[in-house]
Amino acid sequence: MGPHSYDPGTAPSLLLWTVDIPKGSVNIDLDRGEASLHLQNLCNLFDAFTVPNSLNPTHPLGLVSGFLRSLRIEWSGIKNVRSFNNGSTFRGHFLETSASIELVISSPSTKPPFTPSPQDGFEFVADPATSQTHFAQIGHESNGALF
Amino acid sequence: MVRLSRRAWLHRTMGAGAALGSGLWAPNAAVADDDDGGEKRCGVALPLPHTTAGPFGPLHFYFPGPIDGSASPTDATGTHPEGRDPSTITNFDGFVGGVDMNFSGMARDRKTGVEAPYTFHTDSRFMIGDFIASDQSRHKGAFAFL
Repeated sequence: MGPHSYDPGTAPSLLLWTVDIPKGSVNIDLDRGEASLHLQNLCNLFDAFTVPNSLNPTHPLGLVSGFLRSLRIEWSGIKNVRSFNNGSTFRGHFLETSASIELVISSPSTKPPFTPSPQDGFEFVADPATSQTHFAQIGHESNGALF
Repeated sequence: MVRLSRRAWLHRTMGAGAALGSGLWAPNAAVADDDDGGEKRCGVALPLPHTTAGPFGPLHFYFPGPIDGSASPTDATGTHPEGRDPSTITNFDGFVGGVDMNFSGMARDRKTGVEAPYTFHTDSRFMIGDFIASDQSRHKGAFAFL
């Protein structure tokens, strides 16, 4: 199936891999230690195939639009609570949790000049039961001019 | 979402940087505010000032890990006494969620129909709240780091 790596690219402002989403995509309840992110039909991201190719301004492996049909991430199960304040630029109160992910994503078939060689299209459906959380957290923070 | 961990890849290549060109782009965070004295003001969310060394230039984010900056297996760049801000947006006040995880599923070749198990790594985050954009005005918005 070859390598696939999805991200929204880097903005001219150098904002990294960040895209605006509808406000209704996020639900968060810190009292219960739960949150969810649900995105559907997101077109403004790329299949850059690899991270280095995403970060390389010349994208030697090409760059094609990906289609995120559905992404749902759910946070739950408080493991730890952490507060921090550096006194000038960042403060936050976060709950460290577990998480699970559901994802359906695809890439179109490609051919030169969009990629160096032709590639068949790709579709992926995640099995949420396989989610292996290395780190997850939800919380509230203030930074920069809004510290 | 990436098959090879971003963390693993960036750590392997740290220090090999060249200038990050302007050829990268993304439709992101364009916001329009109300008229201000007859002048329409627009702005975009600005990146966190902190940078992590990348192969083609600095990357404006922290790897995942505890907000107090303590050591974490998810951040090989070490500890951060200033804290480990999970937001990728600066001048921000709001809620943030983040995950660093591996997950598997079934991939399908759309031409041949062949299916095979496939594994991804992701560092995904959301940010929702107020931010001061490049127009120096306060906005409300929601963002995903994918």
